[in-house]
Amino acid sequence: MNVFHDAANQVEFDSITQWKKEGKPVVGYTCSYAPAEIFHAADILPYRLRGIETDGMEVGDTYFGPFICSFPKCILQLAGKGKFSFLDGAIITPGCDGMRRLDECWRKAGEDINGIVPDYFYYFDVPHKSENHGMAWYVEEIKELIRSIESHFKVKITNDKISAAISEFNKGRRLLAEIENLRTRDDVVVSGTDVFAATVAGTVMPRDEYTKELKKWATALKKRKTSLSKDKHRVMLVGSISDEIDLFELIENTGKAIIVGENLCFGIRYEGNEIKEDGDPVAALAEHYLGASVCPRMYGKYKERLAMLKERIVRSQAQGVIMQNIRFCDLHGAENALFERDLEAMGIPCLRIEREYGPHIDIGRMKMRINAFLERMESSEKRAAASAMSAEVSVSA
Amino acid sequence: MRPEIKEYNYDWLMGKTLKAAAHVPMGTKKETELTYRYIPYYKNIAKTFIDAGDPGVQALKMMSRYYENILTAKEQGKKICATTFCNSPVILYAMDIVPVTFEMLTAIGAMIWKRGMFDYMDFCCEVGMPETSCSSQRGALGAILGGLSEKIDLVICDTPGVCDTNANAFAFASEYLNKPFFQLNYPSSIGDDRSQKYHIDDYKEMIKFAEQHTGKKLDYDRLAEALAEVDKQDAMIADLEDMLMLKPTPVPPMFNLVLYAGRFCFSGRREYTELLESMVKSAKANAAAGISGLKNGEEKLRMFMCYIDHYTLDVNFNHFLEDRGIAHVGSILTRNFRDNNKYVEDMPGSAYGIDTSSPDAMLDTIAQMNARLPMVRSIRGPYDKKGMWLEESLVCAKMYDADCVVYNGTPGCRNTWGMVKPFARDMEKHGYPTHIMYDDAFDDRVESWEATRERLDEFFKIRGLL
Repeated sequence: MNVFHDAANQVEFDSITQWKKEGKPVVGYTCSYAPAEIFHAADILPYRLRGIETDGMEVGDTYFGPFICSFPKCILQLAGKGKFSFLDGAIITPGCDGMRRLDECWRKAGEDINGIVPDYFYYFDVPHKSENHGMAWYVEEIKELIRSIESHFKVKITNDKISAAISEFNKGRRLLAEIENLRTRDDVVVSGTDVFAATVAGTVMPRDEYTKELKKWATALKKRKTSLSKDKHRVMLVGSISDEIDLFELIENTGKAIIVGENLCFGIRYEGNEIKEDGDPVAALAEHYLGASVCPRMYGKYKERLAMLKERIVRSQAQGVIMQNIRFCDLHGAENALFERDLEAMGIPCLRIEREYGPHIDIGRMKMRINAFLERMESSEKRAAASAMSAEVSVSA
Repeated sequence: MRPEIKEYNYDWLMGKTLKAAAHVPMGTKKETELTYRYIPYYKNIAKTFIDAGDPGVQALKMMSRYYENILTAKEQGKKICATTFCNSPVILYAMDIVPVTFEMLTAIGAMIWKRGMFDYMDFCCEVGMPETSCSSQRGALGAILGGLSEKIDLVICDTPGVCDTNANAFAFASEYLNKPFFQLNYPSSIGDDRSQKYHIDDYKEMIKFAEQHTGKKLDYDRLAEALAEVDKQDAMIADLEDMLMLKPTPVPPMFNLVLYAGRFCFSGRREYTELLESMVKSAKANAAAGISGLKNGEEKLRMFMCYIDHYTLDVNFNHFLEDRGIAHVGSILTRNFRDNNKYVEDMPGSAYGIDTSSPDAMLDTIAQMNARLPMVRSIRGPYDKKGMWLEESLVCAKMYDADCVVYNGTPGCRNTWGMVKPFARDMEKHGYPTHIMYDDAFDDRVESWEATRERLDEFFKIRGLL
């Protein structure tokens, strides 16, 4: 497990150092709509850019305006401070308006701070719709990305190599799905913090190593007997992008809750779904990455996302949902409100929190609100139990 | 929302206010002056338009007509479509659909009402929209979500790929009100064959959606008529654009606002043609006399607004420009990028033409025209790439001989706030003093107009511009 926590909690960790020692390139990417398999197929390490380890914002605030989410600002800050010096390339995607402007802000910061922009810097244009011409555009974008990687890194990315990469990534996805199944049981043997660390690690670790470690861990988990969920509220965590293990810890360290599922950009929502291994591999990647409407950036797909969330709530037996959005993340902020409306109507307690990403300056406030929410869950559960009991008594009378 | 606000249907209230305002100048000068005594809260804004002469009066009539259309849509059996300012209403009119443009209605309310659109903006937050989302939608949308306006039937927005907060407001409205939703989506590039094709494919899907939800087929004869009217309008817009290049410019600052407001409301309709005819006539008269369009007659500074204008109470921003002798040489909203404009000569691939020779040609025309509306045209991709914000701003600043560049927006504009600092720095490198306003174009609570004015004055003074 430590290997996952090490990868999830550090920008640069042993596997990266080892990878670089072997003379192999690392390319950072910003969004779950970037097909990491393409890089793996070229023997390039795809590395999901994160904002962890940020300890200031002077670079981020210099180039981004004030009304921007702190996540891309943290990435820029880390880039400006040389923390991503191991990168040989970066792919910027228009996941949202804040994130896509990382393209200009990073390049412009590079005019002032030498050496912070990787040699390979690429804008990957993901459409906001997955039907017909949207899908065709995305397929063409992947092909263009392949051509660009081949040209810059002097590699050849064949369909066979992409298929092999898909197959390798799917192994991890299947293992994560197995772990996800363990979280649906009455007695949950794994904490949400550990599962999330393992998921985040999958976005930054060399994939072969990751699959091997994940397999070991999944095998060990299946043998575990100790329940971590006894007398705890089962909650689900959803909303804005988060790679923060400490956010999970914050919730689980209350001692009153266990996270049995998440619907986050870094979470299982993507990693759990396999990609088709037969047919055209580029089309399969496109169908997987663009076709599943998991992010509110895909406008007009709320009902699909709600249905997916409901299904996961039911499967994981979650009793409540914690919805967070980073300030200025309007997409998740607005969608959380709709989720809250619809889930509360179904009797599922929800908590909506707006917060800052990164160093938890508002940790006290967050703790207080989470504790209050868990108390609310407790009292409603007690009320439900009492009314069930009184109904039973009146029936027997 | 405060109970007293809920007492009134917002559309009705604003529609009647504008209708009354449009009637004020129909009396004698003495009657008009007398009327002002009875409308102290509306006097300044009414006087601003009426004092602008016939173009101002035409603008009042046009806004009144816009509301009249909304208020009478249902009794005429027409569907109402919520849409954005950067989605041309031409296609909607050709399909007998009445457009409700959130940003236009918010701007109108913000300019006319002393209390602005605050209650409605806040109501959006009450029902779940983040307070950080764009005020330009939240104003009118608040009234709609609160059930205080004519009911919308469908939602078409065209900002995905360009403005998250805008698209998100429309997606939220669609879900909250359970109305069908369509998004026109823009890639990050413009002018190349691939994105041109994407626009057409997307536009065809939009027409299918509108036909499905209104039960009406697109009438191509009607579309041809509307495009012929757009053609006429574009020629007059090009005239005004040419006159904006003159020094001093004979075009009053107010004309910028009215020019694009008319286009967003009534593109392809006779109402807008009449307004443009009046504006061209007035500006040509100034040009023939060699005088500035500014009221005091002296043009001290030429300012290019690289984004949007400021729309709060009484169009104070407009008065500020008039008082200081600042000529407004356009904004991102003013330019239409029709191929008959001089400024497009330096930006190959940026313009659209009009071809009504066949249904396909018309669809191509309108798709490309739509893709060149403000915002969706030049802030869709990285700002320093071909045809994007920096190139457009530099071309316009140069061509209109601007002395300075000013950015104004809303805190909700995640897209421009993500790049405006390096953008401003690049403009400065090219020799244009550039000021970033930190206010909200639609909400004076973010920064009072007085504070905004002070900061603008400070910029002009420190940079030695005035």
